Amino acid sequence: MNSSLSAENRRKNILSAVLAVICVIYVLPVVAVVINSFKLNTYVKTNTFDLPRGEMWAGFSNFIKGMTFGNYPFMKSVLYSVVITIISTALILLFTSMAAWYIARVDSKICRAVYYLCVFSMVVPFQMVMFTLSKTADKLRLNTPWTIPIVYLGFGAGLAIFMFVGFVKSIPLEIEEAAQIDGCGPLRTYFSVVFPMLRPTMISVGILEIMWVWNDYLLPVLVLDINEYRTLPIHIQYLKGSYGTVDLGATMALILLSIIPVIIFYLSCQKYIIKGVAAGAVKG
Amino acid sequence: MSEVSLKHIKKIYPYTEPKKKGEAARPTNLKITDEGVVAVEDFNLDIADREFVVLVGPSGCGKSTTLRMVAGLEEISGGELYIDGRLVNDVAPKDRDIAMVFQSYALYPHMTVRENMAFPLKLKKVDQATINAKVNEAAEILGITEYLERKPKNLSGGQRQRVAIGRAIVREPKVLLMDEPLSNLDAKLRNQMRAEIIKLRQRINTTFIYVTHDQTEAMTLGDRIVIMKDGVVQQIGTPQEVFDHPANLFVSGFIGVPQMNYFNARLVKKGEGSYEVELDGKTVSVSPDKQARLAANGVESQDITLGVRPEHVALFGEESGMFHGTVEVSEMMGSSVHLHLSSLGQNVIVIVQTMDLQGQHKEGFKIGQEVAYTFGGNVIHMFSKEDERNLELPR
Ligand SMILES: Nc1ncnc2c1ncn2[C@@H]1O[C@H](COP(=O)(O)OP(=O)(O)O)[C@@H](O)[C@H]1O
Ligand SMILES: [Mg+2]
Repeated sequence: MNSSLSAENRRKNILSAVLAVICVIYVLPVVAVVINSFKLNTYVKTNTFDLPRGEMWAGFSNFIKGMTFGNYPFMKSVLYSVVITIISTALILLFTSMAAWYIARVDSKICRAVYYLCVFSMVVPFQMVMFTLSKTADKLRLNTPWTIPIVYLGFGAGLAIFMFVGFVKSIPLEIEEAAQIDGCGPLRTYFSVVFPMLRPTMISVGILEIMWVWNDYLLPVLVLDINEYRTLPIHIQYLKGSYGTVDLGATMALILLSIIPVIIFYLSCQKYIIKGVAAGAVKG
Repeated sequence: MSEVSLKHIKKIYPYTEPKKKGEAARPTNLKITDEGVVAVEDFNLDIADREFVVLVGPSGCGKSTTLRMVAGLEEISGGELYIDGRLVNDVAPKDRDIAMVFQSYALYPHMTVRENMAFPLKLKKVDQATINAKVNEAAEILGITEYLERKPKNLSGGQRQRVAIGRAIVREPKVLLMDEPLSNLDAKLRNQMRAEIIKLRQRINTTFIYVTHDQTEAMTLGDRIVIMKDGVVQQIGTPQEVFDHPANLFVSGFIGVPQMNYFNARLVKKGEGSYEVELDGKTVSVSPDKQARLAANGVESQDITLGVRPEHVALFGEESGMFHGTVEVSEMMGSSVHLHLSSLGQNVIVIVQTMDLQGQHKEGFKIGQEVAYTFGGNVIHMFSKEDERNLELPR
C-alpha cells in the first residue's frame, strides 16, 4: 500500500518535470518575441536571448517604428484583419449551427453523408488544397476581404459542425416539440429556442474560429491580392525598410501587438473553450 | 365544445434491422407487417367535451405514440383524427389548439418562468397586458407566483412541472395533453400533484388526455381509462367498470394492486342458464347475474382461468373455509395486512383488514401458520383459456 503510494508520487513528479520542460519549450518563442521587441534592432541578432538591458533597451521606439514603417499603412491591415475575422466568425457560427441542428435532428442518408464529409474535412491538411484553392478563389472573386469569409466558412465548417452536432444531440428533443406546439415554425424554433441553448458551444466555437482566422497567414496570402489587401500577419511578413532590409526589432514589436488581443481574449474565455470542446467530444 | 374523436387511428414505424451485427433485434411484441412495425393499431375513441381520459398500459404499448399523434408531433399512418368535428390529420400542431405537458417538463432553459409561460401567448400576438394578466392568474392557480422571475434550473422538479402545466393552461387550449407528467417526481410529491391535477381540472374548461403507466394514477384521475397493450386497445371504460368487469386477463391483472389471484378451474354448465365453477374438487357457486350473462353468451362447459382479487378473498376458521394454505409472507400495510399464502400449489394473496368493524384488532399472522379462506360467487372473474377474454362480456 505504502510503496505503491510512493511509486505513484514518483511517477507524478517525473510527469511534472517532463511537462515543465515542454512548457518552457512552448513559451520560449513567445518570451523571445517579448524581450526582443524592446531591444534595438542591431542587438536582436547578436544577443537574442538576453534581456533588453542598458544600451540594448529601445523603449517603445520599435512599436512606433513598426506602426509607421513600410509601404503599407498599418491601420489598414488591422482593419482588414478585424473585418475578415468578424465576418468569418459570424458566418461560421450562424450557418454551421443551423446546419448542425438540421443534421442532428433529421435522420437521413444525406444528413449523415454531409456530417461525415465535415468530419473528414477536418483531417485533410490545408496544404493539400491550397494551390487549387487560390485559383478557384480568384475565379469566384473570393479574393477580397469582403468575400474571403466564404472561404473561411468552408474551412471552418468541419470542426464547427462537429462540435455543434455533438451539443445539439445532448439537448432533449422535447423542448423543440414544446416550441412547435406553442406555435413556432422551424425558423422561430431555431432563433427563439435552439440558438439561445447553443450559447456555450457558440462561445467556444467562436473563440476557436476567431483565434484561427486572426492568426491565419497562409490562406489570405494565397487568396487575397496582397498589393491591395494585407491582413496583420501579411503586413508583418512584408515589413521592410526603404532599402529592403528587415527591421527585426520592429517586426517583433508588431508580432507582440498582434498577439496581445488574442491572448487577452483567450485568457478571458478559457473556461468556455474547454467546456465546449469537451461537450462536442463526448457527445459527438 | 372540444370533442376529440379518434377513428381507426394507427401508427406504423418503418421496420429497422438491428444496427450492429450480433445485436439482437429490439425485443418487441408489436405486430410486424410488410409496411413496418405497428405501434398503434385501430384506435377508436370518442372523447366528450371536458372529459378526462387516461391512456394507461405498460411501457412500450403505444400510449405516447397515440398522444403524440393527437398533438401532431407524430404523423398519423392511418385513420382520422377530429378535434371539434374538424379533421386535423394534416394540421400543424400549433393550429390544433392543443397544449402538451411532457414528462421531462421541456421548459425553455434560457427563459424565466414568466417568459416560459408567456411564450405561447406572445407567439399568438396577444397584447402584453392580457399576457401579464393570464400568466399571473395561472401562476396563482398553480402556486408559483413567487418563482415567476426565476430560471427553470433554479426550481425543484415539482415546481418545474407546475410551470410546464402553467405554460400549457395559459393558452386555454381545447385539449390538454399530458405524457407521464408525474413520472419524474418522487412518490410523495406525485400524490400531492395528482390531487392538484384533480383540483386544476375543476377550474379550467378543457378536455384532458393523460398518459401514464401507473394504474393508480389512471384510476384516480380518469373519467374513463383506456388500457393498451402492444399497440392494441384492451378496454375502454370508467375506473369502476374496468375494475369490476375487466375485458380480459391482461386488464384484470393490470388494474388493481396487489394483482388479482388466478386459479386453473373448470366452468360447468349444469343446465340451461345454470353454471358453477369447480376448483380443487370443490364447487364455487356463480352469482345469478353472472350466470345470466354467461347464458346470454351461450358459454359451454370449459376449462377457465378463475380470477379473484385479494381484497375479495375472505379468511375463515379452519372448519368453514373452503381452501387451505400456509402463510409465507405477511406484509403489514397499516390498516391492512397482505398475506401471501402457499395454497393449491401456487401463490395466493389475501388482504386482511387489521381492525374489524367492532374495532377489535385481529391477532397477527405467523409465518407457516395454516389458514383457510373462501370467496363468493359474486366476486369471481372467469376468463377463457383460449383467448383470455372475460366470458361474461358479449363477444
Ligand atoms: N421512431 C420509432 N421507430 C420505431 N419504433 C418506435 C419509434 N418510436 C417508438 N417506437 C416503438 O413504438 C412502441 C410504442 O412506443 P411509445 O408510444 O413510446 O410507448 P409508451 O406506451 O411507453 O409511451 C414501442 O415499442 C417503441 O419501441
Ligand atoms: Mg411513453
